[in-house]
Amino acid sequence: MLTIGKLAAAGEISPDALRYYESEGLLVPTTRTASGYRLYGEDALRRVRFIQHAQACGFTLAEIRELLQLRQTDSACCNDVRQRAIEKRLQLAAKIRSMQSMSAALDRLIAECADGSQSVEDCPIMAALEQIDGGTEPVR
Amino acid sequence: MKVELIYAPGCAECVTARAGLRAAAEAAIGGVEWIEINVLDALDYAIELGVLTLPALAIDGSLVFAALPTPAQLRDELLRRAGHD
Repeated sequence: MLTIGKLAAAGEISPDALRYYESEGLLVPTTRTASGYRLYGEDALRRVRFIQHAQACGFTLAEIRELLQLRQTDSACCNDVRQRAIEKRLQLAAKIRSMQSMSAALDRLIAECADGSQSVEDCPIMAALEQIDGGTEPVR
Repeated sequence: MKVELIYAPGCAECVTARAGLRAAAEAAIGGVEWIEINVLDALDYAIELGVLTLPALAIDGSLVFAALPTPAQLRDELLRRAGHD
């Protein structure tokens, strides 16, 4: 059995993060000592790695909980996991697009601010950000 | 009118629902073009449509239902669009 400190060290993660995983229903200690300290079984490190890898692929903790629950669902199969992976891929692509659009909007604002010596009050970037229509086209 | 069902392979929900949806679409208006798209064969197109969850349903190249509608919802949407055309 591993204490929370040992599991944290093995998983290169903080004890606080492990407690948070527990509060999110992702990792439950196998037992507790008489004085209440958490003790984890040998499979806990595998679970921590799983969570870390899934997070690296963009899955949220709630989504990771769903993935883990699929393991306990008799009717679930790899297609269910794949569908979630495809959806995550679609969501990441949408996020990338949105960020590219934000980046392009910033490029336009930066280009508009040719005279960097203007006062902040007259800065076209500030003016554009103040536009109430939410647009990113600079005020001319 | 073109109706596209975008699905992930192995989607049990799609198998159950698609016959009813297709029948509802074809009964609602004439000349419906029913297309089923495996998202893995058209990932870029799905991204272009803005699909975030599967299955999803697009009409004339626009994502209209982010989750599968009931046959009645699809019929109503097609009739509404036909009326506006």
